[in-house]
Amino acid sequence: MRRIGIWIALGGLLLGTAACGGGSGGRSGETAAKESLSVGFVAEPANLDFTSTEGAAIPQALLVNVYEGLVKLDQDGKIQPLLAEKWDVSPDRKTYTFTLHKNVTFSSGAPFTADDVVFSLGRVKTDWKLKIKSQLDVIDKVDKKDDTTAVVTLKRPSNGFLYALATRLGAMFSRTGVADLANKPVGTGPYQLGVWKRGDSIRLDANPRYWGAKPAAGAVTLKYFKDATAMNNALLTGGIDVISSVQAPESLQQFADPNRFTTIEGTTNGEVVLSMNNGRPPFDDKKVRQAVRYAIDHKALLDTAWAGRGKPIGSMVPPTDPWYEDRTGDYPYDPAKAKELLGGKTYTVKMRIPNLPYAVASAQVVKSQLAQVGITADIEPLEFPARWLDVVFKQGDYDMSIINHVEPRDMGIFADKSYYFRYDNPAFGKLLASADEGSEQQQTDDLKQAAKLLSDDAAADWLFLFPNLIVAKKGVTGLPQNAIAESFDFTGLAKQ
Amino acid sequence: MSGRRLNLGLATGGALVGVVVAAALVSFVWTPHDPTLVDAAGKLREPGGGYLLGADKFGRDTLSQLMVGARTTLYVGVVAVGIAAVVGTPLGVAAGMAPRSRGWLSELIMRVNDLVFAFPALLLAVMLGAVYGAGTLTAMIAIGVATVPAFARVARAATMQVMVTDYVLAARAAGRRGPAIALRHVLPNIGSVLIVQASVSFAIAILAEAALSFLGFGTRPPTPSWGRMLQESQELLFSTPRLALWPGLAIALAVLGFNLLGDGLRDHLDPKLRNARG
Repeated sequence: MRRIGIWIALGGLLLGTAACGGGSGGRSGETAAKESLSVGFVAEPANLDFTSTEGAAIPQALLVNVYEGLVKLDQDGKIQPLLAEKWDVSPDRKTYTFTLHKNVTFSSGAPFTADDVVFSLGRVKTDWKLKIKSQLDVIDKVDKKDDTTAVVTLKRPSNGFLYALATRLGAMFSRTGVADLANKPVGTGPYQLGVWKRGDSIRLDANPRYWGAKPAAGAVTLKYFKDATAMNNALLTGGIDVISSVQAPESLQQFADPNRFTTIEGTTNGEVVLSMNNGRPPFDDKKVRQAVRYAIDHKALLDTAWAGRGKPIGSMVPPTDPWYEDRTGDYPYDPAKAKELLGGKTYTVKMRIPNLPYAVASAQVVKSQLAQVGITADIEPLEFPARWLDVVFKQGDYDMSIINHVEPRDMGIFADKSYYFRYDNPAFGKLLASADEGSEQQQTDDLKQAAKLLSDDAAADWLFLFPNLIVAKKGVTGLPQNAIAESFDFTGLAKQ
Repeated sequence: MSGRRLNLGLATGGALVGVVVAAALVSFVWTPHDPTLVDAAGKLREPGGGYLLGADKFGRDTLSQLMVGARTTLYVGVVAVGIAAVVGTPLGVAAGMAPRSRGWLSELIMRVNDLVFAFPALLLAVMLGAVYGAGTLTAMIAIGVATVPAFARVARAATMQVMVTDYVLAARAAGRRGPAIALRHVLPNIGSVLIVQASVSFAIAILAEAALSFLGFGTRPPTPSWGRMLQESQELLFSTPRLALWPGLAIALAVLGFNLLGDGLRDHLDPKLRNARG
């Protein structure tokens, strides 16, 4: 059974952002090279090694900017060439031949060749410590044909393989540059690590050896704020140029002046899930779970909890995936039907949520709405990440929870019955397996069916799709509309 | 002149505390609206028309929340100060009554006290919240434990004064044992000091609860709490400042009230001041 990675990014605070087109080099010349921008983020990485440390903060800063893969994701979730100029797939869909760009060097000066591809993909199996590395278990072997040609052979056809290469799993490392990944990243990207002031900021400087179009900004500083209000104030007073992800949507009114600020609202891969523990009463009963889905007025919830930003969503597939179908009609708001399903019984459940703004806000609305049909939810905010991960995620000691699952294409987490949802339906696992091996059309069909099955079973309730809210000073260009990849792409960022 | 100032402070403090207590008591039987009912249509409702102070972003009535919040505040204050008084007073009295031959006992109690005193109350509460889960109960216990040293110190100092009075010396000469002296002579005579201390500690406890709820380590949502109301209004500070104004004002006035009350009671009850006035 395929297991799509199961980390939960730091509360969806750290929404990575998709590439915005390799060709958008923007302005060139001396003036552009001197420009420097600073972007506000919410949580600082503990170290810079995303091969051994979970969490979204590291790839958000480094992937595409410092490290590059053979391929990358564009704004629409499509796979685009990066270090690989092109690739050919054999008719049995088990052999991928990548043709690499010539004259690519790492920031250390070492040349990038097919040897590094063999090395980097091999390291995933031997040295990586993340759960998501199992996504590349499908690789049988990686061979070098010549300096600019690498051949990857798979054990079986896999639709998820190329997509996995576009994530951090596909990042290319130098054979001589992995000694101190936690502090000294060495990649082929347009930026290299400048200064890291721990607890404050990371500065990325333009990589003078970069093989592609030079980035528009000479340096980008990632400034970290623990508090959403502090970050808002920094933008208001000119301390930063961009807020990468607005954590308090009601505060957007402060930035309403179009002569000073630009607001971008796009989509993410983040499904805010109202999880129900399928493994113990009362939510082991499908009827009770269905009642919950009928009892929640998703439109009202989104309006009150998150200022109407974001989108209602009915299953575990975001609209940017090819197999998205609008499933919000499966359980329309119908408290009478919910009561009928509960059969006049009342329940008291433990709602253990992470102490994150969207979760605390949503929980209060959910509680109020569930109270109308006879379910009393006791809200208990747990400190995130440590305590929530331990109690809810690892031990599964909860009835209900709310968390933003930010990972791309993460429907597979429902196929793992030890996952904290404790959802167990073999038919779902079969659909996912056949989707990965089958043709592209079959993949789409199977995954549509899988999403429908999740919704019908009420394996969870999906509260809304987390919005990508970016605010920038007027004149900042090259910002990504959607946040559907792991990284925040700085390559096109410029200030006028 | 001193008499007038004293009465004014006491009266103002008493009135402010009275309002808080009254609001909390009334909230048990009546609030204008359900303070936790989320109403999407009434989001950020302006004051007026049955909603005297308007509604927050969840459409919950601010006045109702303030009233139930007063209940939370008093509840935390009473339990925290209760813990502090019940634990701190006996410790202080024991330390104060320890004869010189057993000076180590007094030293031990007071140095452990200093240790707890040196530990920031908020840090203790955050720690307890992280280990046992944040909630009103952990907040109350943490604030209570952190307030114990204040009570112990005050009780010890007052006890030492009482221990050299003629009636205690007479009681000892008559062969009364320690516990009997503590109950019959010491406690009644340090009571006024403790009441003053309780009033001041109450004000500190209110502030601490508000701070903890603001940080997300206090009262659990959706139970209304002034501190959490402040926190929830933070993102709306620029567009709807009234949401922060009301709980902020409530906290300020309640703390002022208890402080004035404590001050006034001290002036009123302190035997030395009373004697000085003649």
